[in-house]
Amino acid sequence: MIHRTSKLGTVLVACLALALTLAACGSSKKSSSSSSSSSASGSPSVPSGQPGKGKPAVTLGDKNFPEQFILGQLYAQALQAKGFTVNVKKNIGSSEITDKALTSGKIDLYPEYTGVIVQELAHENGQPKSADETYTRASAYEAKRGFKTLNKTPFFDADGLAVQPAYAKKFGLKTAGDLTKVGAFTYGAPPENKTRFQGVVGMKKVYGLKKLKFVPLTIGLQYKALASNNIDVAAVFTTDGELKGGKYTVLTDPKGIFGFQNVTPVVSKKVLAQEGPAFEQTLNAVSAKLTNEAVQTMNAAVVLNKQDPAVVAKAFLSANGLLK
Amino acid sequence: MGARAEGMTLPVGDISAPFTFLWDQWDSQVRDNVLQQFGYWGAAMAIASVIGLPVGVWLGHLHRGSFVAINTSNIGRALPTLGVLAVGIGVFGLTFLNIVFAFAVLAIPPILTNAYVGVDSVDPDAVEAAKGMGMRPREVLVRVELPLALPLIFAGLRTSALFVMATIPIAAIVGGKGLGEIINNQASFRLSGVIGAGILVIVLALGVNALLGVVQRLVTPRGLRLSGADARGDAPAATTVLPTTATPEQ
Amino acid sequence: MHAMLAAGGPVIPSFGKSSSCVQDNGAFCFDWIRDNWDSTFQPALISHLKLTVIAVGIGFVLALGLALLAHQRRWLITPLTLVFATVFTIPSLALFQVLVPISGLTVLTAEIALVGYTLSILFANIITGLREVPAEVRDAARGMGLSDRQILFRVELPIALPAVMAGLRIATVTVISLATIATVITVQSLGGPIFEGIQNDFKTKYVAAGLLTVVLALVADGLLVITQRRLTPWARARRA
Repeated sequence: MIHRTSKLGTVLVACLALALTLAACGSSKKSSSSSSSSSASGSPSVPSGQPGKGKPAVTLGDKNFPEQFILGQLYAQALQAKGFTVNVKKNIGSSEITDKALTSGKIDLYPEYTGVIVQELAHENGQPKSADETYTRASAYEAKRGFKTLNKTPFFDADGLAVQPAYAKKFGLKTAGDLTKVGAFTYGAPPENKTRFQGVVGMKKVYGLKKLKFVPLTIGLQYKALASNNIDVAAVFTTDGELKGGKYTVLTDPKGIFGFQNVTPVVSKKVLAQEGPAFEQTLNAVSAKLTNEAVQTMNAAVVLNKQDPAVVAKAFLSANGLLK
Repeated sequence: MGARAEGMTLPVGDISAPFTFLWDQWDSQVRDNVLQQFGYWGAAMAIASVIGLPVGVWLGHLHRGSFVAINTSNIGRALPTLGVLAVGIGVFGLTFLNIVFAFAVLAIPPILTNAYVGVDSVDPDAVEAAKGMGMRPREVLVRVELPLALPLIFAGLRTSALFVMATIPIAAIVGGKGLGEIINNQASFRLSGVIGAGILVIVLALGVNALLGVVQRLVTPRGLRLSGADARGDAPAATTVLPTTATPEQ
Repeated sequence: MHAMLAAGGPVIPSFGKSSSCVQDNGAFCFDWIRDNWDSTFQPALISHLKLTVIAVGIGFVLALGLALLAHQRRWLITPLTLVFATVFTIPSLALFQVLVPISGLTVLTAEIALVGYTLSILFANIITGLREVPAEVRDAARGMGLSDRQILFRVELPIALPAVMAGLRIATVTVISLATIATVITVQSLGGPIFEGIQNDFKTKYVAAGLLTVVLALVADGLLVITQRRLTPWARARRA
C-alpha cells in the first residue's frame, strides 16, 4: 500500500513540477537578436546604429491575410535589425477586430489601409476624392484617438470584384455596375463585408445591386470557390498574387466605393514617444520601398509559390539595404 | 503597460446585448444556422449510432473483442476535431458529408464503448437466471442484457450528443455552416453576437442531452426505473453529461 | 540571384520557385514539409505541447483539490458538477474570444480557457472514482484503525486511480484538440499552420499540420495508457 501511494505521490509531484517549470518558461519574453549596422542609401533612410537597444518592447499586429503577414514581417524585421524588441501578433482578424486590439492596448501598431480607416472605422460621410485626401482624413481621425499615421506607402490595395472571364464575356461585364445585367448573383466575400460600405452596403446603395446574395468565405477561399463556380463574384484585393496572369477579370469601380487604399502604419503616440525618432524613421524607410509591383510580387511568392512571409520579407529587406 | 487599464472592461457592455442579437437576427441569420447545426448533428449522430450501437452491443454480448473495440474507440476519441476536418477537407474537399464524417468519428467512441461496457458488465447472475429459464441467446440479449445496459448506453449517447453539438461551431473555420458562422465572425456580429451564438450552442447541447434523458426514461422498463438502475455505476444524471467513459479495464 | 530594378524604385529580388507538387497544390508534398519543418511545424508543435502540459497540469491539481474538497463536503458535488457541465459545453471558439477583453491576446487567455475545460472533465472523473469506492472497503479500513486522511490516501485514491487516469486521458486529448483553436487569438499552436493553410488554400500545410495534431494526440494517449497500466497493475490482474 505504501509503495503504491508513494508512486502516486511521486507522479503527482512530478506533474506539478513539470507544469510549473513550463509555466515559468512560457512567461519569459524572447529577446531579439542584434546585428551590426551601417547607414543605407536613399531617402528616407534607415537610421544608423542600434537606436532600438534598451527601448521598451513593442507589440506589432497584423490582419488576417497574406499581404498583411508580409507587411507585418517587413516592419518587424526592419525594426529588429535596428535593435528594437518587437513581438508580432500575427493574423489577429479583420480591421474591426485589429483596431479594437489597438485601442484597447493589446497591440501598439498595425498596418492599415487609409480608405478602410475613413470608411469603415471612422464611418465618415462623403467619399474622399484622392489618395492624399483619404490619407489626410485618416490621419485626422486617428490623431483624435491618440494614434499617429506614419508615411503612406506608394502601393495601394483596394477591394475588387473578380469574375471568371467567360462569365464577364457572357454578360458583357466591365464595371461593377454592369452586374445589374446579371440579375441574381452570389457574391463571396469575407464575413465583415456584409456590413461594410466597401462591401455589400456600398454595392447595393451605390451600384443598385439589389439582387446580390452574400456568401461569407474566409479570406483565401474565395478564389477556389470562384474557380469551381460555387460563387459568381468574388471579393478580391487588387494586389492579390492570384490575379497575376489575368486568370480572372476584375471589374472596375468607377464610382469609387472601394476607395483609395494606401497602407499606413498606425502607431500609438505614446509608444512613438517612448521609442524615439529612429522608430518612426525605420518604418518610413520601409514604407517608401513598397511599390505596387514589389508588393504584388511578394504576394505572389507567398500565395502562389507558398513561400513563408517571413522569408520573403527578409529577402526583400535584405536586397534593399534595410537590414543593415 | 499603462494601456492595460483600458482593456479591463467587461466583454459585454450591456448584459442583454447577446439576447437582443439573437432576437433581432433570428430570421436573417440565426435560424438558418440553427437548422444547419441540427443537420450536421443529426447526420453525425445517426451514423455514429448505426455503427456504434450494434457493434458495441454485439461485442458486449459475446464478451469478446474488447481490446479492438475499445482501442479503436479510444483512437477515435483522441482525434483532434480541427485536425480531422483539415485532413478531410484537403483530401476529399469541402462537402456536407465530409464534415459530418469528422463529427461521426468524434461521436462513435462514447457510444460504442459505453454500449460494450454496458452489455458486457450486466450482472452474470441475471444472465444465468435467464438462461436457466430457457431463453435463447438472442432473447437473453433483448430481454435481459439490453434493458439492464440501458443506463450506460444512454450515457454514451448523451455524451456524444452533447459533445458533438458543442463542437460543430469549429466547422465554420474550414468553411462549414452552422452557428460557427456567427462565432467565427466577430467582425460582423460583434462580441455580443459571438456570445449570443455561444449561449445558443450551450442551450442546444444541454437541450439534446436532456431530451435524450427523457427518451431514456421513457424507454427504460418500469421495473428497472423503480429499482434505480442508476445505482449500477452510473453517476447521477448531471455527471453523465461529461465524457466520463465507463472505465473498462484496459 | 536575379534582381529586378524598377527605375529609382526598390530592388525586387527573385524569391525562387517551389516544387511542382506545391504548384499543383498536392495534399502531401513531403519535400515542402521537410524543408519547412524547422520554420513552420516545429515551433508550432513545441508551443502546442507547452500549452497542453500547462493546462493539464494546472487543471489536474485544481480538479484534485476541488474533488477532495467536494468529497468531504458532499453538498458541493451537485452545484460544482452542474457548473462544470455547463463550462464544458461552451464552444471553445466563443470562449477564447470572450476572454480577450479580460486578459488580452496572450497565452494566459488561452490557458484560462483550456484549464477550464480540463477542470470540467477531471473533476467529474475524480469525484466519480472516489465515490465508486465500495462502502465495505472503507468500513474495513476504518475498522483497521485508519484515520480519514489515511483512508483517503491509502485506500480511496488508489482505488480511484483508474477513473483518474481515464479522466487524464480524456482531458489531455481534449486539450490537444482545443489548443488548435487558440490560433484565433494569436496564440501559437498547431492550429496556426492549419488556419493559414486553409486561408491560403495550401493543402500540404494544413493536411500535414492536421495529421501532426492527430499523431500528437494518439502518442499522448498511448503514453498515458502505458502510465495507467504501470500505476494500476492490479486492475489487469482483476480482469483475469
